[in-house]
Amino acid sequence: MKRFEDILAQCIDDVKAGRASIEDCLERHPSVRERLEPLLRLALEIRRAPDVKPSPGFKVRARVRLMEQIHDRGAVTRWPWLRYHKQRQLSPQRRFSMVHIIVAIALALSALAGGTAYVAQASLPGDALYSVKLGTEQAGMMLLGDDFARAERALDLAQRRIREMTALAERARSQDLGLAVEKYEYALEMALARIEAAGDAAAAAGNVTELVAEATAWHLSVLDRVYDMVPAEAKEVIAHARNVSATGHFRALEALARVKPVGAMGINTAAAKGRLTRAGEMAARGDVDELENALQQFEAMAAFGEEICRIAQQAGRDITRVEELVAEGTFIHLQELVDVWERAPGQAQAAIRTRVANAMARHERAVQALEQRGAGLPASEATPERIREQERIRERVEQILDDSVPPALNLPGGVPAGRSCCGCGR
Amino acid sequence: MVQRAIGHDADAFGKLYDMHVDRVYRHIYYRVGSEADAEDLTQQVFLKAWQAIGRYKRAASPFVAWLMTISHNLVVDFYRTSKERAYLEAEVLADDGASNPEKAAEASLDQQRLRRDILQLRGDEQQVVMLRFVEGLEFAEIASLLKKKEGNVRVILHRALVKLRKIVEKDVDKR
Repeated sequence: MKRFEDILAQCIDDVKAGRASIEDCLERHPSVRERLEPLLRLALEIRRAPDVKPSPGFKVRARVRLMEQIHDRGAVTRWPWLRYHKQRQLSPQRRFSMVHIIVAIALALSALAGGTAYVAQASLPGDALYSVKLGTEQAGMMLLGDDFARAERALDLAQRRIREMTALAERARSQDLGLAVEKYEYALEMALARIEAAGDAAAAAGNVTELVAEATAWHLSVLDRVYDMVPAEAKEVIAHARNVSATGHFRALEALARVKPVGAMGINTAAAKGRLTRAGEMAARGDVDELENALQQFEAMAAFGEEICRIAQQAGRDITRVEELVAEGTFIHLQELVDVWERAPGQAQAAIRTRVANAMARHERAVQALEQRGAGLPASEATPERIREQERIRERVEQILDDSVPPALNLPGGVPAGRSCCGCGR
Repeated sequence: MVQRAIGHDADAFGKLYDMHVDRVYRHIYYRVGSEADAEDLTQQVFLKAWQAIGRYKRAASPFVAWLMTISHNLVVDFYRTSKERAYLEAEVLADDGASNPEKAAEASLDQQRLRRDILQLRGDEQQVVMLRFVEGLEFAEIASLLKKKEGNVRVILHRALVKLRKIVEKDVDKR
């Protein structure tokens, strides 16, 4: 026989679910009807809580405060020895010292004056107040309604993470770089995701995307300096950050090429030139590994120039000016490459020679495409100085290539009639 | 997300806050009836949760149910430490069923009285009534949350309803 408690619970479930009425239940259990009825009616009188919601202002304030307090207290572990063990694992820089105590008192006083969030803005990954800084940033992001405003804000946060990496490297705090890189990746991804979600719909997309493309090129050059500063064990994490920047750069350019191909081409040419500047520095220093790394990045960017042209063409844009820029850009790259080759140690010259050959091929394809189009060379290409410089570079390129052109090289075979530089080399 | 929060990832915990803050607030508001107190206690719930996150066991109960347990304990403390505190000062219970304003006011008043009576129940009895009727959890969910057998939860509910009936009757006699 069923217990009364079970009958009551079953009846409550059935009536609430609409499977039975109160009368049905009472008829099913006549022996307990008198006890059951008042309790059942009472239980069904209790209504669910009304849909009261906290105010958005409270939610943001509470979140910021929560992050402040999380930072101040940390999570409490069940076993004191575990907490002790965790403290033992702290790096020497983070162990308690008189300096930390003084800093903590200063921070506490600032917090008392209501300035914790303000003070936190200067904090770095690994600092006590860094989580407050992140919490404040996230709360600020929540207050922005527009996708492009959020993308711009996310880019601003990515820039902050880059500055933090520099500051950490300057303070020899490489153990905290991983967190900065992780947050950088997150912020950049957020900016790119907003842009890509918007597609080509808004004119504002072009402006924000341009900012991201320019900023990521700048990030790469800053990260080069950070890479040079940090000890060997931290280089991998900065190399990862550079890959994140480069990937973000290409994604932004891809989006920009659809709406502003000329701008995209200009940014790409400058970014590729920046990689060659880095290669030149590494050549002078004799750092063959970093030289090769910079050349690989250059190669990817230079090849992307033709990709920009193709994307623009597919998007129905006029690509005449884009093709002119490809011709100009590839010539600038040749000048730089010749310079790098001259400064490079012997063991690195073979790698540079391949890039010179590829750049030459791209330049000739671009020039031929313009000629076939009847557009001719841009005016800047036809000045006496430029013609003399072209001659000089051409001679140097021929000397560099000599007769040892690598077999894999895709030398220009002329542009098929009716096809632009965008269609060449594919 | 919960796993990351257990690993003391403050960002992940922030996201859990975003996901559950409304529900925790609503639960507390129902029991304290004041916006200011509900806000204060809601903040405390999340801070306590962060401090105890290492003790949360994912398999035992859903994260939101665990937050409800913390909410319950804080509300109990809230009343214990301030017995003089008046219940239901800022009553906002809505009556979405009644179209007649007089009936609506009457129904709302009945709900207010009933809520006040529920708050007089003992800890676990009050919690079972709240979780079953106010939060709409199933018996199995309540059992896993309170670490009791389902049969025991039914027994507690029965006991709670018997007591509640007596409290309601006394209340009616007073009027």
